[in-house]
Amino acid sequence: MRTLRDAALITHKDLVSLRRAPLVVILLALYPLLIAGLVGTVAGYANARPRIAVVDLDHIPAKTTVADHTYQIKNLINEVAKNVRVSWMSKAQAAQALRTGEVVGVITIPPGFINDLKSVSNSPQVEFETSQGGISSRVTQQMQALVYSLNRKLQEAYLKDAIGYISIIRNGGTADFFGSDFKVLGIEKARALLAAEKNNPRATKVIRFLDTAEGALRASEVSARAVAQPIRLATATRSGRGWLLSAQMQAYALALTVSILALALGAAVTASERDENVACLLGRGLISRFSLLAAKIALATIISLAVGTVILLAFGAIVEIAGIAGGQPWQRIPLVLLGVTLFGAALGAIGTLIGALAREGRSATLGALLVALPIVLLGLIPREIAPPAGFVSDIFPFSHGERFFSSALYDLHPWATVGPEALWMLGLLVLWGAVARLAQPRLTES
Amino acid sequence: MAETLLAARSVSRRFGRVIALEPIDLELRSGEAVALVGPNGAGKSTLMSILAGALKASEGQIAVTGSAKVGWLPQRPAHYGRLTALENLVLFARLEQMGDPKQEAARMLERFSLPSDRLSTYLSIGNRQRLSLAIALLGNPNVLLLDEPTASLDPKQRALLWSEAQRHIAGGGAVLFSSQNPEEVERHATRVVALDSGRLVFGGSPEEYTLWEREP
Repeated sequence: MRTLRDAALITHKDLVSLRRAPLVVILLALYPLLIAGLVGTVAGYANARPRIAVVDLDHIPAKTTVADHTYQIKNLINEVAKNVRVSWMSKAQAAQALRTGEVVGVITIPPGFINDLKSVSNSPQVEFETSQGGISSRVTQQMQALVYSLNRKLQEAYLKDAIGYISIIRNGGTADFFGSDFKVLGIEKARALLAAEKNNPRATKVIRFLDTAEGALRASEVSARAVAQPIRLATATRSGRGWLLSAQMQAYALALTVSILALALGAAVTASERDENVACLLGRGLISRFSLLAAKIALATIISLAVGTVILLAFGAIVEIAGIAGGQPWQRIPLVLLGVTLFGAALGAIGTLIGALAREGRSATLGALLVALPIVLLGLIPREIAPPAGFVSDIFPFSHGERFFSSALYDLHPWATVGPEALWMLGLLVLWGAVARLAQPRLTES
Repeated sequence: MAETLLAARSVSRRFGRVIALEPIDLELRSGEAVALVGPNGAGKSTLMSILAGALKASEGQIAVTGSAKVGWLPQRPAHYGRLTALENLVLFARLEQMGDPKQEAARMLERFSLPSDRLSTYLSIGNRQRLSLAIALLGNPNVLLLDEPTASLDPKQRALLWSEAQRHIAGGGAVLFSSQNPEEVERHATRVVALDSGRLVFGGSPEEYTLWEREP
């Protein structure tokens, strides 16, 4: 009972002290929010367009005529390269840019490309080189998409040409073929001319042939259009949460803010006992070491809860005011705050450990920030990509908190995730609390 | 013979490989003022911290007699800067389990003429030292450990502090104070203990200490 009472006295003292240093509180709350926003924005732009170099060794002319169609190949490449930023370079420049990472890939248009394109009989080829970076596979996929889009553009022109010829054969008209104009009667007009010869069996046979030919040509036109796009993807944009207001972003913002806040606060208020030279007074039996530890963890938890509540309410208000589909799941807020409590407490225990080990408050705060960033970044690495990072991250609360918040906010059935993650955070609180307790003599006896 | 209130038996302290204090025996008896003297780094603050219970002795033990209670004024002021003097006193009175913490705090505030509404961080050095002394006296200790209590005080503040110490001794308590000031030692101590490099090098009356000090 006395343990709890003493812890409450110290926590109350720390809250009063914090209230009298509003700038510190504002900085403590705003700095993590700023970092959360920056990380969120960076994560949101993770799919930003990479830069690609294109080397033209064939000296592509401004206009190229293929099968009676004129193409502006360079413009066509720039047009279809929607997912990458294209920079035209010399071969040497491109090689240098790839080495230095200025570009993530180089497309080379080899000599003879245009001749092959014009011949129609040989498929022209482009070469692609990529660096061995983390996004090389994504860039290769984007290049495949680029070549596919280029083929489609050319294919559409070829087919349009072919369909034009079919149309002239069916309806008649003037056609241009390899530079010469031809006048074509057309099946329709031929059938009309032969109609006058109804009693002529030969004419009847020709008319029957024309009917068959027209049917076949109509079918060919339909087939040609279908072959041009065997499967068409219909895309629709629906109203919903953008990245900045997504569930993931909300969970990240909450986890990141509370991580930095609880760590820095736990470390700073613990070290402040030494800075004010009171730790030695408390350490002589005025208060038990467990009470002192509990007081600091409690403070980190209370402030985490307060800031966590503000973040959730602010997100919710923005979502509601903007009338965004899905709305804020208000009924889940208590569950999220339960997670924030465990999360803030576990991180507060780590902060208390840092505060006990550091020589004074400034070192403690710096130490907390130095520890917070790797903990957060480790937690952001997907386990599937780097399993060791996932295992290391497991002994820190960040990834557990982030999964808890995300699931508690938006999973239809969150308990399968929330339950185990809550147990993880409880376990980490006990683990880091025990380690921090072992470090307490360093605080009170120095 | 006066009652022994606090005793150190073969108390020593090491910090890693460094020996800060070699085994020392020391007794504090009711009604006496013992001066702990020695150069910087002699081990005075280490011994005070061990006697106060803030630092564990590597070897030996501390015996506190019966109902004896120890108050400690550390070398550097020890209180919360973002609390007022009154709030500091109330908090420490509560931690000391005193019956009426607010009343006790108000009494101390008046006794030491401390301003009640200013944050401690804005108090003068003298007032901060007096506040630390008031905190040390909460819970009515009969042993008072004062670690260089007058080092940063002006003559008037020093006189006030010594009058408090004399009042404490007159009430049957004991005072152990460390000092670098020979005049203070001669004037206020009833016994002198000298340390050097963690070793006890002298124990006796102030007069004997004066003679010992003059020896080549």
